[in-house]
Amino acid sequence: MRTFLLILAAAAPLAAHHSFAAEYDSNKPVSVRGVVSKVAWVNPHAYIYVTLKDDTGKESTYAFETSSPNALMRRGWKRTSLKEGDAVTVDGYLAKDERPLSDGSIHANARMFTLANGGQVFAGSSAGDGGPAK
Amino acid sequence: MRRHFLSLAALVAACALALAPPSGVAQTQKGKAAKSLDGPGGVIAVNGVRDENLPTPPSGPTPRAANGKPDLSGVWLNGNYSFSNMGGALPLQPWAQELEAKRRAEQSKDDPEAKCLPTGVPRITPYPMQIIQSPTVIAMLFEGPLHTYRMFYLNRGHITGDDFFPTWMGDSVARWDGDTLVVDTIGLNDQTWLTGRGTPHTDQLHVIERYTRPDLGHLDVEITLEDPGAFTKPHTFKRQHVLSVTWEIHEFVCNEFNVDADRLVGR
Repeated sequence: MRTFLLILAAAAPLAAHHSFAAEYDSNKPVSVRGVVSKVAWVNPHAYIYVTLKDDTGKESTYAFETSSPNALMRRGWKRTSLKEGDAVTVDGYLAKDERPLSDGSIHANARMFTLANGGQVFAGSSAGDGGPAK
Repeated sequence: MRRHFLSLAALVAACALALAPPSGVAQTQKGKAAKSLDGPGGVIAVNGVRDENLPTPPSGPTPRAANGKPDLSGVWLNGNYSFSNMGGALPLQPWAQELEAKRRAEQSKDDPEAKCLPTGVPRITPYPMQIIQSPTVIAMLFEGPLHTYRMFYLNRGHITGDDFFPTWMGDSVARWDGDTLVVDTIGLNDQTWLTGRGTPHTDQLHVIERYTRPDLGHLDVEITLEDPGAFTKPHTFKRQHVLSVTWEIHEFVCNEFNVDADRLVGR
């Protein structure tokens, strides 16, 4: 498990479906520490939802775009690479369009997931389509 | 300098996240060093583009079909993963140059491919395709981002006259020239982009592809584009696909959750 939770790659373009720059803002990097609340294996991009509480107990959920399920699988992801309940830190970028998704979640693009044990899973999302390499 | 920039970006991000961001949200730190793509570990170079995800193709002689022609069947990976690499600048007419520049300035927000529409011909995607060959028709099945296909008919000529309607993937007829499969495609609509950066074409686009399988693991194609409506002259470039004996093409239902389509703001 630990072996595969290494940084798999960082610059290989595998997920271009849309231009990174058209949707996400490389000037708005964000790092979110929370718990995986939902894993959605959907096309064209799989989404990992991460929920966190602020100091007052108010919950926020971020919807992180990753690569497509097919591309993630070929990168070495398993269905259990990230599971509901996993504590994670996600490094990514906020969407330019600040409207939340239909379920109210905050829209963002993931670059890297770091698990509580220090293992890392590269999201491989829009790298190669004009997005930041990290 | 970079650290400086990140600090500035941190400030911008903090502001963007409202005055009191949740306690678990922070400015990202400088990323850890990425794994080098130059070292060993399955990295191969195709068309000068490296991608460590491409499995090393098998070696062996060109397989042959029962009729003696090369058998092009297999799951093929796009050796050149770049959306936009077409062997250098395309010889565009001024209007086409201007339109491409406009689309680039808009970050390709209107790319039909991002709206889960077909890529057209001969644009490729990062996803594999499979060729299935019979003596009279050769099928090219694309995994994604949109499930689509091309049919190369060896037993008829182009559809013409009143029976002709432009389509996203065109009308393709093929013939063998020795061991080379020559595919001639017309009948394309003008809705697709030739590249991810927005290169336009007209419905006069004519694509001639010459496919060869020099060995088991490689599929080479020389592509000539002619478009008197958008180009100043024909343009020829080469592309190479590599065989995967372990991958299959998979389901890809692009419209399942394409929240991107109306969120590409392009500024």
